[in-house]
Amino acid sequence: MSTDASNEVRLAAESAASRAAHSAAEVAGQEPGGPKSPRRKGLSERNRPLWMLIPGGALMIIIIVVPLLLGIYMSTLNLDQYTLRKWISSPFIGVENFVEALTSSPLLHATWLSVSYSLLAMAVTLPLGIAAAVATQNAFKGRAVIRSIFLIPYVLPSFVVATVWRTMFQPDGIVDKALGAVGIEAGLWLNGPQTFWTLVLVQIWASWPFIYLLALSGLQSVDHEVHEASALDGALWWNKLRYVIFPYLKGPLALAFLIGMLHHINNFTLPYVLFGVPAPADVEVLPILTYVTSFQSFRFGLSAAMAFVSLVLIAIPLFVYLRAVKLDDAESPGAKK
Amino acid sequence: MRFRSSSGLAAIVVAAALALTGCGGGSGSTDTSTSTDGKVDGTGKTLNVLVGVLSQYPEQQKQWQSDIAAKFKAETGADVKFETFASANDELTRIQTSVVSGQGPDVYGLGTTFTPTAFATKAFVTLSDDDWKKVGGKDRFNKAALGISGPDEEHQAGIPFVSRPFVMAYNKELLAAAGIEKPATSWDELAEQAKKMTKDGVYGLATGYKDNFDPWKFIWAMAVQAGNPIVDGGKLKLDDPTVKKAYETYFGWLTEDKIVDPASVGWSNSNAVAAFASGKAGYLMMTTSSSLPTLEKSEVAGKYEYALMPTVPPGESSSKNEDAASILSGDNLVVADYSKQKDLAFAYIKLITSKEEQLNYQKIFGDLPANAEALKELAGDAKLKPITDAAAKSKATPFTGAWGDIQLGLLNVTVQSVPDLAAGKVDSSALEARIKDSQSKGQASLDRASKG
Repeated sequence: MSTDASNEVRLAAESAASRAAHSAAEVAGQEPGGPKSPRRKGLSERNRPLWMLIPGGALMIIIIVVPLLLGIYMSTLNLDQYTLRKWISSPFIGVENFVEALTSSPLLHATWLSVSYSLLAMAVTLPLGIAAAVATQNAFKGRAVIRSIFLIPYVLPSFVVATVWRTMFQPDGIVDKALGAVGIEAGLWLNGPQTFWTLVLVQIWASWPFIYLLALSGLQSVDHEVHEASALDGALWWNKLRYVIFPYLKGPLALAFLIGMLHHINNFTLPYVLFGVPAPADVEVLPILTYVTSFQSFRFGLSAAMAFVSLVLIAIPLFVYLRAVKLDDAESPGAKK
Repeated sequence: MRFRSSSGLAAIVVAAALALTGCGGGSGSTDTSTSTDGKVDGTGKTLNVLVGVLSQYPEQQKQWQSDIAAKFKAETGADVKFETFASANDELTRIQTSVVSGQGPDVYGLGTTFTPTAFATKAFVTLSDDDWKKVGGKDRFNKAALGISGPDEEHQAGIPFVSRPFVMAYNKELLAAAGIEKPATSWDELAEQAKKMTKDGVYGLATGYKDNFDPWKFIWAMAVQAGNPIVDGGKLKLDDPTVKKAYETYFGWLTEDKIVDPASVGWSNSNAVAAFASGKAGYLMMTTSSSLPTLEKSEVAGKYEYALMPTVPPGESSSKNEDAASILSGDNLVVADYSKQKDLAFAYIKLITSKEEQLNYQKIFGDLPANAEALKELAGDAKLKPITDAAAKSKATPFTGAWGDIQLGLLNVTVQSVPDLAAGKVDSSALEARIKDSQSKGQASLDRASKG
């Protein structure tokens, strides 16, 4: 890839400058050397401090890999309150939990709800976040205050956000009163079909500052010269935004989209605190369903199977998406490709 | 990340071993010695007790705990360390962790409806005759309170600690103004009386349809009073007409009779208490003696009384089950099977279920004693009389590990019906479909319980 090569050149050149013996050209061009000549590696390959991965890696293994493996093992057991005590020796039932999860549980419905609500929330937060970032890009009086205010939803704990919204959405609560004042009978927010939209709305409120933050970081990376150049070329604001600025935002926003989606899909606190358990059927999203199966019905095996299925369901589009936006290519965020 | 596969594997094995030893290590104390006179010598030992936090009385609870710890120390020489859980979910997590790892608190305080689930894990001591003697004998407890200690009299794990039977409160002034002489004893009469009181922003009944527990208690009570035990052997009977009738009555208060505040579709029990406390309701349904402190400080102080909830089911003239005035509610104590100091645990339970301690506890927290003598002593108190009556007239919910699921199913019917309720009409066929759904899920759970 061209960007990679140029990066290598730059890094290598810097390192070479300190070691006057080598010429930049010798370092940059060639593929890692032949068998005989002592190969000169780029900095990124040389002395890679792999040992630094050990603390994080060990933690990842204990906190993520081991539980994941245990979870997969659990999903093949008939593990419930009756067998919990000696859970290692509870009856092995193979794929029965998976069959039950897919055929006779609301898992697929829950997946559909999770994904659609996450996408909807994302579709609204993206333009909101970008607009807010662009609006606060140029300095004006009181900008710092506005920027701080924008971050409030992001720094509030999910639990607090959900509790406040739940209070406002009570029947005859402040939202109903406000809408009633302009003659709108809104109906129930915390029960019934409208709950889905309540969840989307609260999620939007809570998560747009995240998009805003990443969009802002993208805007900061636009060089001053670029603004000048486009001004010299006489680009008007929309054209400048569309063709000059947005391409810079592609990387950060792709990342924001990805993290945001995962965050929405995994969000347990918000629906749990807003609607309680058992949740109305229209907001029985994946985390709620898994929770109820585990901790209300005590079907730990079935619940592990559900969690695993949802992991796979999310991993597939995630993988495709990662490939598409090449986020794994961490060397060049935000650069044009 | 490119670990060589062998080192990667080794790391996983080490991590897994670490995780497992983390679960297994810890406890190491030896058995407690019991001297010949029955006194337990626990010098130098510490008993761990896990109980629910009493959010209404945080200071008093701490005080009570340190008092009881001092008394226990004087008696046995051992210390008591209290841990608290904040919610049912918190409690469940603690229990699950302890059950799996085989270590944790020695004594647990459990809600009555959770006792069957805990019993199903087989992680708690089923008391032998000898064990019962160590906690002061089975006879010291209110007989009704033992109803949810185990599946039958020979297999009991829960030792009753306090009772919190459900009653209703009524506003004497509102009832008198409507010309009602005494509180209703049948659900039909209740609705009639409530209609008379409903006017000018005052409603006949206060109840919360969005409460996480109340709805299923109404349905359970009405169905049981009509002769449906809900669980009959291995069969779940939610598809019985009595259950549908119960839902129709319960929903009908809002949609047909219009005797509850329409906003109560979004209320929990505490909202209902608040409405009653501000004098805006004739009856407060499904409450316990723990509402007493709130009501005493409210507008209705001195104007209200407690009464037994109706025991005559909707549409009938007599009850098939007079005893079902309330579910058997309160707290049980259980001793962990893995505990290395069971005798010490029993000695602690003996202390806190003694007559004096139980009366003291009632004075501070309002919960009724499970100790029979203490309960008898309180029956003389006019205000508490209906509540002590209810304690004797409480009926246990079915003792099965599947109860959690059944309860959830009963509650779920209400949750999914709330939009219809708010719209003013619960469609009969939709209600039937919801009940059917809960029936099939609950039955599946019962089937697993019979195998488990």
